[in-house]
Amino acid sequence: MSGPALIHVVVSGLATGCIYALVALSLVIVYNATRTVNFAQGEMLMVSAFVAWSAQHTAGLPLLAAVACGVAAGGLLAFLVERAIVRRALSATHWDVLIITLGLSLALRAAAGIVWTNEELPFPALFSNQPVAIGPVRVAPVSLGVIGASLILMLALVALFRATRFGRAMRAVAQNQTAARLMGISVERVYSGAWVLAAVVGGVAGVLIAPVTFLSTKMGLIAINGFTAAVLGGFGSLPGAVAGGMLLGVIENLAPLYLPTGIRYSVPFLVMIAILVARPRGLFGSLERRKV
Amino acid sequence: MRVAAWALGGMAALGWPLVAPRYFVFLATLVAVNAVVAIGLNLLSGYTNQLSFGHAGFLAIGAYTAALLTLRAPALPVPLTLLAAGLVTALVGLALGIPCLRLDGLYLAMATLAFGFVVTEAITNLDWLTRGNDGLRVPLAHLGPWALDTDRSRYYLALAVAAAMILAALNVAATRTGRAFLAIRASEIAAQASGINAAAYKTVAFVLSAFYTGVAGGLFAFVVGFLSPDAFDVFLSVDFLVMIILGGLGSVWGGVAGAAIVTVLNDSLAGFQAYRPLIFGAIMIACMLFAPGGLAAMTRRQS
Repeated sequence: MSGPALIHVVVSGLATGCIYALVALSLVIVYNATRTVNFAQGEMLMVSAFVAWSAQHTAGLPLLAAVACGVAAGGLLAFLVERAIVRRALSATHWDVLIITLGLSLALRAAAGIVWTNEELPFPALFSNQPVAIGPVRVAPVSLGVIGASLILMLALVALFRATRFGRAMRAVAQNQTAARLMGISVERVYSGAWVLAAVVGGVAGVLIAPVTFLSTKMGLIAINGFTAAVLGGFGSLPGAVAGGMLLGVIENLAPLYLPTGIRYSVPFLVMIAILVARPRGLFGSLERRKV
Repeated sequence: MRVAAWALGGMAALGWPLVAPRYFVFLATLVAVNAVVAIGLNLLSGYTNQLSFGHAGFLAIGAYTAALLTLRAPALPVPLTLLAAGLVTALVGLALGIPCLRLDGLYLAMATLAFGFVVTEAITNLDWLTRGNDGLRVPLAHLGPWALDTDRSRYYLALAVAAAMILAALNVAATRTGRAFLAIRASEIAAQASGINAAAYKTVAFVLSAFYTGVAGGLFAFVVGFLSPDAFDVFLSVDFLVMIILGGLGSVWGGVAGAAIVTVLNDSLAGFQAYRPLIFGAIMIACMLFAPGGLAAMTRRQS
């Protein structure tokens, strides 16, 4: 395979990887705050994408406003779900919340099928799909657009976590919940904020991936790739989630070149099993010790 | 009192095909098959707290093992076929369980989820063996000179197997092993400090659970008569989880009750496919919020 063609494959892999990274980030943000994973994260980003579609199609908003609507709706849904359902179970074992979010993912997916449709819908493209030449290399603007938008969002997250009071509160809760509470941080507000922030980040991933994969109730399954990415980078680490997402995207795009094509859809699962068996703490993570 | 309840339950189970219409005999057979899976999953998830999203994968391995074995050796008596299905699945469970010892909670759930996907992908791609997406027609099961060619005969087969499996599970639950499982569920670290070899018992739970599900898979193959990989998707694994959550984690009879309710519910909602996951999702959330021990805990509280 020639150099420029390889670069094309790697760039589109990085674009897919950015979306995985955003989904991984949203999973890790909730995990760091509440120590549980939201299995419904994928379905929540699906709702965002569907709302954006409706806002453009039915309400006739311009695309960017519709996308903003979708992302905001995802945040609102997360706020309501966290306050009404998840908060009641947080004091119980982690199992309970896992199963609740699993039930939520089933229910949300079915509800979206009833409210909208179970068919695949075309989603309006934010960026063109026609490859343009940059020197000898041909890349699709959609890849660059997705990478650009994701990087801007990631930088915004870095700013949020480093420079704002709320961001520092989130990091404090992630490190030690009891100590954070003793320092006067409202841990409950951090839970709420984490769910909303995660839904917003996930929602952006949703509207970025929807033009590529079509809009459907099945698009929530991308959370599995996001989870694999987060595990790859060491679950709980935000930079790890980004690196893991990029790595997974590139592996997934390169694998069909060297392996039978049928294997492409198994790649995330095989990567996940391999990493869990060989190095459960992820490529960059450190071992965590727990007490009784 | 207890003996009377057992006798009554046993008579109802034995007499069911004589009074019920044919379709309901088939449905009762499915309940028996799912009950075996639910007990198996409960041994793993309910007793040792290892959440599995991959039991549809185990069921598929058991089903395909039984079907392929019957295709190659049609005269093999059905108990041996089921035993083979269980043993092959148990071996796979061992191979999956040992590396999974290092994982807990969430990670284990994701590893088993991935396992389930890999199994269906493998069945699809190994089409020289499994006929892939075209599906595999399962030949009739034989017991000595008799072919099990009626719904009634298959019902009695499933009932006998389920009864044996329930008794075995009740026995396991009452022994040292069962108590070790429950201790691990309460706290793995505390259990280890009390001299329980947590790694060994967790592996045992994994293998036992896979064995149960493999046997159920063999039954499933004969009952349904046709296998294709899309029947074993992740949503089937989730259905099994709903059964044990609704019935009660860590209770054998809870698993049976959950299997019965979910199977019948699944059947009666067949016309409302779109609403089915909505209802199951709501059941899961409601159980966790309002009845964490499921049906088993409710009856226990009353008595």
